[in-house]
Amino acid sequence: MTRYDAIVIGAGHNGLTAAGVLARGGRRVLVLEKNAGLGGAAAGYEIAPGFQAPRYAHLLHAWHPQIEKQLDLAANGLSFARRDLPTLALAEDGAHVVIEGGAARLLSGAAHPDAAAYATLHRRLVRFAGVLSAKLLETPPQFHRPDWRDLASLAKLGFDVRRLGAADAREFLRVLLSNARDVILDEIGDGPLAGALALDAVMGGHTGPRSPGTALTLLYRLAQGGGRHLPKGGMAAFCTALAQSAQSHGAEIRRSAGVAAVTVENDRVTGVLLDSGETLGAPVVLSSLDTRTTLALTGVEHFDAEAVRRVRHIRCKGATAKINLALSGLPAFTGVDPDDLTGRILVAPSVQSLETGFDAVKYGELPAHPALEVLIPSRLDPTLVDGGGHVMSIIVQYVPYHLKDGWTAGARERLAATVLDLLERHAPGLRSLIVAQDVLTPLDIERETGAPGGHWHHGELAVDQMLTLRPVNGMARYALPVGGLYLCGAAAHPGGDIIGAAGHNAARQAMKAPQTKTEGHAA
Amino acid sequence: MTAHTLEKLLPQGTTAPRPMVQRGLAPSPFDARLRPLNLHQDWMPWAGYLSARRFDSVEAEYFAIRNQATLFDISPMHKYRVTGPDAERVMNRLMTRDVRKLKPGRVGYSLWCDEDGYVIDDGTLFRFGDDDFRLCCQEPQYAWLLDIAWGFDVQVHEESDEIAGLSLQGPTSFAVLEAAGLGQLATLKPFDVVKVDDDLTVSRTGFTGDLGYELWVPAEKALALWDRIWAAGHDFGLRPIGYAALDLARTEAGFVVCGVDFKSIHTALRPSRGRTPFELGADRLVDFSKGPFNGRRALLKHAKDGPRYQLVGLEIEGNKAPHSAYVYHRKKTEAGHITSTLWSPTCKRNIALAMLKAPYGVDVTGDLWVEIYHDKEGKWERIMAPAWIAERPFFRHTRRAATPPARF
Repeated sequence: MTRYDAIVIGAGHNGLTAAGVLARGGRRVLVLEKNAGLGGAAAGYEIAPGFQAPRYAHLLHAWHPQIEKQLDLAANGLSFARRDLPTLALAEDGAHVVIEGGAARLLSGAAHPDAAAYATLHRRLVRFAGVLSAKLLETPPQFHRPDWRDLASLAKLGFDVRRLGAADAREFLRVLLSNARDVILDEIGDGPLAGALALDAVMGGHTGPRSPGTALTLLYRLAQGGGRHLPKGGMAAFCTALAQSAQSHGAEIRRSAGVAAVTVENDRVTGVLLDSGETLGAPVVLSSLDTRTTLALTGVEHFDAEAVRRVRHIRCKGATAKINLALSGLPAFTGVDPDDLTGRILVAPSVQSLETGFDAVKYGELPAHPALEVLIPSRLDPTLVDGGGHVMSIIVQYVPYHLKDGWTAGARERLAATVLDLLERHAPGLRSLIVAQDVLTPLDIERETGAPGGHWHHGELAVDQMLTLRPVNGMARYALPVGGLYLCGAAAHPGGDIIGAAGHNAARQAMKAPQTKTEGHAA
Repeated sequence: MTAHTLEKLLPQGTTAPRPMVQRGLAPSPFDARLRPLNLHQDWMPWAGYLSARRFDSVEAEYFAIRNQATLFDISPMHKYRVTGPDAERVMNRLMTRDVRKLKPGRVGYSLWCDEDGYVIDDGTLFRFGDDDFRLCCQEPQYAWLLDIAWGFDVQVHEESDEIAGLSLQGPTSFAVLEAAGLGQLATLKPFDVVKVDDDLTVSRTGFTGDLGYELWVPAEKALALWDRIWAAGHDFGLRPIGYAALDLARTEAGFVVCGVDFKSIHTALRPSRGRTPFELGADRLVDFSKGPFNGRRALLKHAKDGPRYQLVGLEIEGNKAPHSAYVYHRKKTEAGHITSTLWSPTCKRNIALAMLKAPYGVDVTGDLWVEIYHDKEGKWERIMAPAWIAERPFFRHTRRAATPPARF
C-alpha cells in the first residue's frame, strides 16, 4: 500500500491550495480528483472547438493575495488579463451605470445622481469588511476552553471594531445582522446601482436582499475591497497554476480517482479506499467535499448523533445556474461601446427586482426575471478563442434546485430562452451569434462538483453558518472529531467563492496537529 | 407570480370536526381491572397514563413484594421496536455497552449518552432476533432514536401504546405463573425473554431485586392476561401494587430512576447538570473496546478526568429516613444530597441513594453525616446522623437468580 503524509480529496481550488500549503510544509501529499479535469467549481473547459469557457465560476472574487504569494502562483504561470474589473449595470431605460470600486457614473458620461452617497456607502462598507476580512485567514476561535490565540483573536476583533471610531463602530454593529436592502436603500435610491450592490450580497445564495443577514454576506463579498480579477488564460489557467504550485513541491495529483470511503481505525483515519478498490494510506485526510458527503464517506457511525443532526440541517439549497455561450462574434449592446464590455455586465435593475426574483426559488419555479452576471472573458483575453469568436459566461441567479416539475430538457430550454430574451432586450441579435450553448442547473453543479444542492458555498453563507458555526458548531476548526480528518473546502470557514482561504487554513491546521494523536484526544 | 395561498393548502370544502384527542391522563389497558381494586383511587401520572400510586396500604403492598406476589402495571413505559439489517449497529451506536454480545432471547440493562457523555436515559433492551430489538425506558426517546438511526437501514417504531406490560414480582411469582398454566417458564433464567405464544412474551426481569417476571401482550389482550394471572394468584397472596411500594423495593435493590436519582441530560436545565455513567456508578456498562458509540470520545475524557459527582449507596444511623436531606462531611461541609431513601423493613436499617460532589464519594468516603428533619410526636426535630457508604444493592435475594425458581 502506498503511503502519504496527507491525502486531499478533491482537486478544486481549495483542495489544490491545501495541497500546495502541505507540500510546502514538507508533507508528501496526494490529491484525488474524481473528474478527469481539475478545478471543481473553478474549472475551465472547451465549450466548442476553439472556445475556452469557465465552467462555473468565471472570476477570482476576493481571491486572497497572501495565498497567491505563499503559493508562488506568479512563478507557476498565473497572470491576470485584468485586475479589478469594472461593472456595467444595465438599465431598462438605457441609463446604464458604470461602477469601478466606489466610483459610479452613468455610461453616457453624466454624473450619477447617487454617486456621492454611493461612494460614502462603499467606503464605509469596505472599511467594515476590513474588520472581518482579518478573520478570513484565521482558524475560527473556540469559545469552549479558548487558548491564548483564541482570546487574542477575539480581543483583536473587539479592538478593530473600536478602532472604527464611536460612530462607525455603532453603525457597524447596527448593520451587521441586518439585511442588504436596508443597508443599501437607506443611502441610495433603488435602481441598477443599488441592484448591483444587492446582487453582490445574494449571488450564489438562497437569499433575497431583504433576507436577514445579507448585510454580512455583502461585507464578506467586499473583503479585499471587493475586486474581481480575470486570470489570463481563463479559470483553467488559474487551476493549472495552483496544481503546478503544489506539484513543484512534490504533491501528486491523480485524476479520475473517485474516493469510495475514508478508512478509520481506532478513531483515526488510516487513508482512503478508491472506487477502483485500491487503498491508499495516510494519517491525515483533508476533504474539500461538503460536510455531509465527508461524513457519509467516513461512515456515520464515527460521528455522534448530535453532530450528524447538525450536519443534516445545514441549509444548503443552491439558487444559481450557469449558462455558457460560444459566440461567432461580439454581441452589440444597444448604446454600449464595445470597449465598455470588458467587465462584469449585470442585469439586476433594482433591489426590488431581486427580491421578487427570489420568489421563483422559494416556490420551485423557473424565474421570469432572473438576475444575471454576464462576462465576456474573451473580450479581455483573446487567447481564449481560436479565431474571431467570443465566449460569454452567464451566472443566473434565482434558479431553484428543486424545480417543481423536475429539471427536464424542456425546463432547461425554457430557462435558456428566458435568459436570452432578457439579454436580447439589451443585445438584440445575440441568439444569431450562438455557436454552442450549455445550460448548467443547480442539479448539474451538484452532480459535477459535488456541491450539495448545487450550492456554490457547500452551505448557505449566513450568520448562523459562519465563523465558529461553519459548517456547524463543533466542527469549525477544520478538524473533524475523527483523528486526522479535516474539512478543507467551501463548507469550512470562511466559505465559498474563489478565496482559497478554507484550503489554506485547513492545511495549516492539519500541520499543527501531531501526526499521531492518542486515543480519546481527537476532538 | 405564485398562487400559493393558505386556502390551497387546506382540503377544499371540508368542514370535518377536529379529531378527538385524549384530554388529561389516558387509562391504561388494564384500567377496567385496576379501577375497582384501587380502594383509595390514588393515582399519579406516568408518561401520560393514569398509574396507581397505591391500591390499599403501601406497607401491605411492600410486604407483598417481599413475601408474596404482586402485579404492577408497566404499560406506560416507553417501548420502541427497532428492526432491520442495521438494527444491531444502531443499538450498538446508541448504547454504552456492547450490544453485539447480547444474544437473541436475552435482555440487557444499559444506558445511553449524548455527545458530551451525559446520560440521556437508562432502560432494558430486549433482543428478540438478530435484527429485532425492543427498548423499554422511562423517558420518550422516539426523536432521539431517529437521530441515532439516521443513515442506517432500520425501522424505528414506537409501540408504547400498542404493548401492555404487567410486572409479576415476588417470591411466589413463579408459583403464580405455574398455576396460570405457564409452568414451562421454569427454565427461564434471569434476563431471558421468550415468546410463549403469538401474543404473550415473558421476560425474567424486574425492578425489585427478587424473583420476578414481566409479561407483555398486545394492548387489546391486556384484560385477558390480567384475568388469567389474577385468578391463578389467589392462593399465592397476589396483590396489585402502586408505585409507592415499588419505589421502596427498587431503592433496596439499588436501582436508579431517571428524573429522581439523576436528571436526563435532555431535560436538564443546564449542561453541567448532566451525569456520566461513571458518576452514576455504572462503569461496568461502558465498553470502550467495542468501537464507536454515541458519546464515546467525551466518555474517554470523563474517564480520564474522573467523576465530578458520585452516586453512592448510604447507610444512615437511626430509623428516620432522611428524605431530600443534605449530606455533610465532618458535620459541616456540604458533600451532596439524598435522592432516594427509606427505612428498609427487610434490611432493618436506614438506606439511601445519595449524589455526592467529588471528592466526596470518590476520594473522601469517611466521616459523612446526614442532617435529618423529622416530626417527633408532633415536635419538629433535627438529627445529625452518621452515615457510611454501603455496597449497592442493599437487598438482593438468592432466589432472584435460582433456576428453576422455587415455588415460594
